[in-house]
Amino acid sequence: MYNNIVSGVFNMCVQNKISCLRFNFRGVGSSTGSHTSGKGELSDVKACVDFLINEINIEKIIICGYSYGAAIGCSVVNFSKKIIGYCAISFPWDFMGPKYKKLSQTKKPKLFIQGNRDTIALYENFENHYNFYFDPKKYKIINGADHFYSGFEENVAQEVSEFYHSIAK
Amino acid sequence: MHGIDKMFIETNEIRLEAEFFQLSTNISSSVLICHPHPQFFWV
Repeated sequence: MYNNIVSGVFNMCVQNKISCLRFNFRGVGSSTGSHTSGKGELSDVKACVDFLINEINIEKIIICGYSYGAAIGCSVVNFSKKIIGYCAISFPWDFMGPKYKKLSQTKKPKLFIQGNRDTIALYENFENHYNFYFDPKKYKIINGADHFYSGFEENVAQEVSEFYHSIAK
Repeated sequence: MHGIDKMFIETNEIRLEAEFFQLSTNISSSVLICHPHPQFFWV
């Protein structure tokens, strides 16, 4: 369940009294099942959305995904009207292929966070991918950060916090 | 549910390990955070 960026965002939510849910994909940690190359993992995100809506009575969901979690999580954005936007941290477009780029297209608000030293979610291709998306959208380049954001966790969490407060009114 | 709850989200197919935080039941919005996958994460 631990990752420096995910934990940074989760802890920011707790400190700011923002409701939040994090989970391990199937086959990871204590989650059952095994990796299914995306199809089952999309269902995992939908199951979490259903949980928030049906069990907790949440009306507005903001998806925040990091790396693989950005590609899969943001691709569920149009699953429910109660998902009001997403924040993608280092969306690995080039690695994951065009499927997730298309699935994550939406007219809902979007924030893309990208390190300018990221060699996995390639920084040099970021603008090209970003330009694909409809408005409303915005981006934040974290100068000096690679894909792992070591030392930049608070910067990322702060961006997520500001995005959350801008759309979850 | 108040505070951080460790739980499993269950479907007909799987059980997902999860942590949920909610301070008040009056809160109507939530952030769903998706982890990177260790199979695709270079550390």
